[in-house]
Amino acid sequence: MTETTQRPLTAESAAAVVTEFFGRYQAHDVDGMTDLCSVNAGFCYVPVELWGKQRVLRGDGKVRTVGKPLWAGLIASFPDLSLTVHTIAGNDEGGVVAQVDIEGTQERAWGLIAPAGKHYREPHLFIFRIGPDLLIDGITAYWNDAGISQQLGHHEVD
Amino acid sequence: MTGTPAQTVRAFLDAFARHDVDAAMAVADPRVSVTVHPLAVHGQGADELRRVLADLVRAFPDLMISVSQIIATGDVVTALFKTEGTQAADYAGAINTEKHLDIDQAWRFVTAGGLITEVAAYWCQAQLYRRLAVKRYDEIAIA
Repeated sequence: MTETTQRPLTAESAAAVVTEFFGRYQAHDVDGMTDLCSVNAGFCYVPVELWGKQRVLRGDGKVRTVGKPLWAGLIASFPDLSLTVHTIAGNDEGGVVAQVDIEGTQERAWGLIAPAGKHYREPHLFIFRIGPDLLIDGITAYWNDAGISQQLGHHEVD
Repeated sequence: MTGTPAQTVRAFLDAFARHDVDAAMAVADPRVSVTVHPLAVHGQGADELRRVLADLVRAFPDLMISVSQIIATGDVVTALFKTEGTQAADYAGAINTEKHLDIDQAWRFVTAGGLITEVAAYWCQAQLYRRLAVKRYDEIAIA
């Protein structure tokens, strides 16, 4: 786990944690991303929703049990995965909002999408909750999954 | 009268929740920048934003907006909310099949002088189409 810092929680320090998080994401350092999160950090990727006949699987739970496998799987399917961070804004209560484009070229299956070597780039909005110990306590993200599917040549909604 | 950025956004969302598009637009700058990623809207001006709001209210006359969180970061305010409603007219290419919609959304606002100068809306169009019984992105109008 990342060494606990003595810096106080401010808008600047909270935003710095998120900047570091995306730096590690860009480096495909999933363990490093996880290390920036508290042990029980919450995770919610709102668009992740897989409908089965009897249940719906959602990208909702904890960083360590849901987030980490999703990050690792995404990087495995898109080995050139890259991020462009447009804005990061924080407040003294530990709220941080970031606008980030994520892009990559598909080499392996991702969800229901078979690999066709296509590239996607999609805007994302991330909302972080940073705790007083400057660890991430919660991550929520929004994007348009239909945009990704269509760019990858998958035209079925499910 | 100018309030805090969060108050400006609250006024906008409260009016939108009442389906009062005129009142919502009263806190928008006439040159507001409007980005609605799932609709591929990248425009500028009050008419652009008015169209986005009016289309939703028209297609879902019982539209309900439930705000779960407002995050103020200086002049930037991000609102997380759920939109729910029953389709009563075509929307975003999807023909009306009277399905119920429930979509979690995040809208990022930039404010200045008590007015909204930028809006960027994020939601998942796959979730929207799934709820409106659309099967394929290349045949949206065939339900």
